[in-house]
Amino acid sequence: MKKTRLLLTILLALAIGLLIYTPLARFHLLPDLGSLFTSKPPRIEETPVIIEHIKSIAQLFTQSYYDECIFDTGTILTSFFQSDKRLIIIARGVVIAGFDLSRIDANSLSLRGKSISVTLPPPRILDVIVNPSGYETFLAQGDITFQERIDAQEKAKKMIEVNALKKGILQNSGEQGARIMEKFFQLLGFEQIQVRIAKELF
Amino acid sequence: MEEIRSRQGKKPGALMRYLIPAVFLLILINAVTVKFYPTRQPRRIEIQTLKDLAELATIEYDVKKIIKAKDVRWYGDRKILIETAAVLKAGIDLGELSKQDILINGDAITINLPQPRLLQLDMKPRDMREIFNDSGTLRQDFSNEEKDQLLIQGQEDIKNRIAEMGILKRAAQNTKLLLESWIKQTGFREVNIVFKITQPAGDRDQPAGDRSQPAGVRGSQDAQRR
Repeated sequence: MKKTRLLLTILLALAIGLLIYTPLARFHLLPDLGSLFTSKPPRIEETPVIIEHIKSIAQLFTQSYYDECIFDTGTILTSFFQSDKRLIIIARGVVIAGFDLSRIDANSLSLRGKSISVTLPPPRILDVIVNPSGYETFLAQGDITFQERIDAQEKAKKMIEVNALKKGILQNSGEQGARIMEKFFQLLGFEQIQVRIAKELF
Repeated sequence: MEEIRSRQGKKPGALMRYLIPAVFLLILINAVTVKFYPTRQPRRIEIQTLKDLAELATIEYDVKKIIKAKDVRWYGDRKILIETAAVLKAGIDLGELSKQDILINGDAITINLPQPRLLQLDMKPRDMREIFNDSGTLRQDFSNEEKDQLLIQGQEDIKNRIAEMGILKRAAQNTKLLLESWIKQTGFREVNIVFKITQPAGDRDQPAGDRSQPAGVRGSQDAQRR
């Protein structure tokens, strides 16, 4: 009888303790109960950032396109002794389009008094950026190798680039480039500004 | 004796009288916190957006970083080494340029440019290589999610070291040279380019540097306009 009473008292004390702990943990005044039994996420060690190459550029970014896409490898069949693989990732990134102004030379500008004519090179996709913080692993079934991850991420990036092109990023980029040039030369005092965009020679 | 017995007899009754309401109160507090303080925040809705930019990038850095992590436990270790690379681009935002920033005096011109800032940080997956990944018998290998987290930490570390790399200083030099050469072609003989003194450039690197981060609904107004 005494033992049962003791057991009940202990259980009651534990229940009360839990009831007090839970709201305090929820308000972040105490650590989460689950975290007491799991290992902390690993932290990277201090390593330097090595500059490998420095390059002067002249790129005018005129348009960005933000997108989110899902890439699914589908079921990848493996040998009889291994479980099949599947990787689903969510990628969030940005496509930058604009002009490579290093291709502008004296022939690209034509002056007559307060009038100027500028010929820009054709706009193009300058970068497709999906950084590690932009990837989310939704499903990783089986033994997914690092290279398989990389391949999936590259394919997701390509999907974002294709979407940007479908949305007309290059056309918008060209129009915005012309607007920037007009504004810039207006500020320099020109009254008549003509901006031409060269066509890509293929 | 009777007095003692009556005191002992009263104790559990008094305890229960306070304990039961106290337990009910605690259950109520728990219920309220669970209802009104959910642990997971709802996800923001992101949409595809096109946004106008007017940024001139004048310097590009190719950098390399080794991501190294050790997870040491009494029941076994895990170690991983990943080689990563990133491309950084810095320059100025021409969209910030206004009439007040330009002073023309005959064939001399003075332009007040905005401070250069980091425009892009791009860690390409194809430039990443897992060099070493080993775990003890009782440990599991680093999961995909853990690798994602390590790479994010590496990305943050590169971003935090922008000031040490001198990229903004070089961006300022290159921007000056580039604009001087263009403007001289338009007939000005004396070109004076200065940078506005605003907040420290390092502070401004953070928001623009990582474009892949969903910065709210980027450029939603531009998308609507179209």
